[in-house]
Amino acid sequence: MKVMIGFEIHEQLKTQQKLFCECSTDYMHAEPNTNVCEICTGMPGAKPMPLNEKALDAVIAIALMLNCDIKREVYIQRKHYDYPDLPNGYQRTSTPIGVNGELVGVRIWEVHLEEDPGKYDPITGRVDYNRCGVPLVEIVTAPDISSAEHAREFLKELRKVLEYTGVVREEGGTMRVDVNISIEGGARVEIKNINSIKGVYRAIKFEIARQQNLLKRGIKVKRETRAFLEEQMITKAMRTKEEAQDYRYIPDPDLLPIFITQERIEKIKQSLPESPFEKEKRFIKQYGIDAETAKVLASELELANAFEEVAKHVDARIAALWIKDELKRILNYNDLTFKQSGIKAEHIVELIKMMQSKEITQKTAKKIMEILVKNPKSPKEIVKELGLSRIADKESLEKIVEEAINENKKAVEDYLNGKKEALNFIVGAVMRKTRGRADAKIVLELIKSKISA
Amino acid sequence: MIKEKLEKIKNQELSAKENVENFLAKIEEKDDEINAFIEINKKAVEEAKKVDEEIKKGRNLKLAGLVFAIKSNINVKGLRATCASKTLENYVSTYDATVIERLKKEGAIIIGMTNMDEFACGSSGETSYFGPTLNPRAKERIPGGSSSGSAAAVAGEMCDIALGSDTGGSIRNPASHCGVFGLKPTYGLVSRYGLIDLAMSLDQIGPISSDVYGVAVALEVIGGYDVRDNTTLKYKPKYELNGVENYTIAYAKEFEEICDKRIYSEFLKGLRILENKGAKIVEISLPNLEKGLPAYYLINFVEFFSATRKFDGRRYGYRIEEVCGKEVLRRILLGKYISQKEYSGKYYKKALRFRNLIREEILKALSNVDLIASPVTPKLPHKLGEEIEPLEMYKYDILTVIANLAGIPAGVAPLSKINNIPVGIQFQAKPLEEQKIINAMHAVGEEK
Repeated sequence: MKVMIGFEIHEQLKTQQKLFCECSTDYMHAEPNTNVCEICTGMPGAKPMPLNEKALDAVIAIALMLNCDIKREVYIQRKHYDYPDLPNGYQRTSTPIGVNGELVGVRIWEVHLEEDPGKYDPITGRVDYNRCGVPLVEIVTAPDISSAEHAREFLKELRKVLEYTGVVREEGGTMRVDVNISIEGGARVEIKNINSIKGVYRAIKFEIARQQNLLKRGIKVKRETRAFLEEQMITKAMRTKEEAQDYRYIPDPDLLPIFITQERIEKIKQSLPESPFEKEKRFIKQYGIDAETAKVLASELELANAFEEVAKHVDARIAALWIKDELKRILNYNDLTFKQSGIKAEHIVELIKMMQSKEITQKTAKKIMEILVKNPKSPKEIVKELGLSRIADKESLEKIVEEAINENKKAVEDYLNGKKEALNFIVGAVMRKTRGRADAKIVLELIKSKISA
Repeated sequence: MIKEKLEKIKNQELSAKENVENFLAKIEEKDDEINAFIEINKKAVEEAKKVDEEIKKGRNLKLAGLVFAIKSNINVKGLRATCASKTLENYVSTYDATVIERLKKEGAIIIGMTNMDEFACGSSGETSYFGPTLNPRAKERIPGGSSSGSAAAVAGEMCDIALGSDTGGSIRNPASHCGVFGLKPTYGLVSRYGLIDLAMSLDQIGPISSDVYGVAVALEVIGGYDVRDNTTLKYKPKYELNGVENYTIAYAKEFEEICDKRIYSEFLKGLRILENKGAKIVEISLPNLEKGLPAYYLINFVEFFSATRKFDGRRYGYRIEEVCGKEVLRRILLGKYISQKEYSGKYYKKALRFRNLIREEILKALSNVDLIASPVTPKLPHKLGEEIEPLEMYKYDILTVIANLAGIPAGVAPLSKINNIPVGIQFQAKPLEEQKIINAMHAVGEEK
């Protein structure tokens, strides 16, 4: 069964000011209706100020990162609809700024700029206009996605690219996705306002199952718009095609057409980071690491940059492995990005160097990495504060080894009976006693000599 | 005379306070009958005293102590911008429009908010929720519209200068019917920030006054770039009152067919006055003239529909469709109808094409001459309360909509009277050539 999925993806842009006025874009932390003015609340007679140029630059940057052609002439249009969060009764949205793009095999139809509406709480009936006028980028893809899994993969890739540009808002949860899905034998359905990649995945899964069920029972699937209900993880009918809204688009007479110069496009092009895809390719070649590791390293721009910095001072392959296997694992576990963790490249360099010079054990290094994620500072200091330096002198270790042997008679017996793995158990006991600081090689030697003696 | 009064106030022979009080007395005496004002500024005297203090301190204010009446679709902080509609009956402005800020900065005093056709949708001054305005110079007749109260306030000597707005003739039409001077500026000369929209791509704020000096000095103050209106031009206006010697002034042969004979014959007399003052009169042709009206109204309906979406009943008390008058409702519904996706090519886009055609035609005509002179309205104002069909009403605008469609300036000066009803003459010029219009208005005005 053939499934065709396309997206309309909205993401907030990271600008200080709103799109058509000078109000702050902080709507998350400010008291309701404090970052507002006549313009963004649409008071009678108010007019938009000229478009926020930084927001336009941001959209051009995103469009370029998505390999789009940039339109040289752009208009702001009014999209009319009636909702309490929309003070003018229309939303301002630009004509396409980028067209004919592509990302990991999915065609990007268009990229444009628009303003966010306010926030309406249907329960209290209150509206907070702080968000009204916050700039958004909208990305429209072709229906080139074939499954829920593919959708998830694409959106992850897209998010990575957007993060690379550095022009989208970092606070999570600002991505909003509308999904267009056509199923062979079924009908084209639009699912509105999904707020996470996980939500998209589940909505698509549900929708495919729903349509298949209807088809099985011989019921015709209606072409309609459906809403995703996050808590129940289902989609629910909103309106049919016959009731489809006519937005009555008109060019906004209050705003002049915008002309984008070649110089402007070139300037933005110069400032763009290497794309995640190109970076992976380069990492493999330049540092001799495998594709999987390169992908993990390139998953976040700051992480990739930190890796390259670390690789200047220590062996790149060791650095790559440590970042991929340890640092990234711990970050994921704590649901943090590298940037959020505050860890610096020099911390990682110091840690690896201490390990290589045997000041600390591998086990301790892993432990320090865990501490670093929560409390980024010099690993040397951490070692000092917590007394984590390696124990390698035989005299101090001998006593601990003896204790371990005495407490684990069964394991000794097993070993003497030819069960070699039993030795690891005793080593483990020593490590527990020394909080991983003991040099494993010396410990092993000591145990062997003690047992055979 | 505005210039002489300004001198007197600056020389402290007349105080701003006295000026305001004189007008308040006039309003008290006359306005129950005329109905030019919807609201009077209770703080006007207080504000005048402050201006007097400034004058005593020796500050040079361009509009020191002059009294302004403001159309009720322009925001003046603390006063109601009702648009003469029940929809905004209780809407008190929270901010000053850019033009108001500029007036206040130069020592003008706002005396009150004037009556108008509801949401500026009309050419007669009869569609106000607050009742019709009378024509002070011909009381059984309409004053014209939609800036009916502003023109009537000037004609009734209830203020020095008034601000109106002009989307298809709303300053010039009532100025003509009331026998006063009015000017619609080049689109983008005056900031629309704070003007409640009728049709955004056509609206301009402009002055109405009892003499041409009043028009010129007010326009100098309110004109110029404003960051809060993206469509304003980077231009700082400065005007003088000069003659029309060596001007080439054109008129179109099509005017004769369109106009009432009496109006056309007065218009020809007006041309002779200009000729006597040294202007050269030439005949031209504007074959697309009559396409202006349908193009104008289609654009007007669509933009007005869009502009009124905010009056959804959630914030300002009423949903516009539920409380507005017949004409406003007609425009909203027609705007909604023709802006449907399936009709956009058929109506709105075609209207925009006509608009371009007309703009090109008029700009081409103006490229060879200094001014185009014309009558203002094709017929005399009808009797107040007389029922007329919407299309008949729209026809008043046939000669005035061209300037809005083309974005060019157009001014009206009183010319003469027919059966005691004032008749004006209109001058149109290239963008930003208000100076030439002011000169022509001055030339005609001197004859009066």
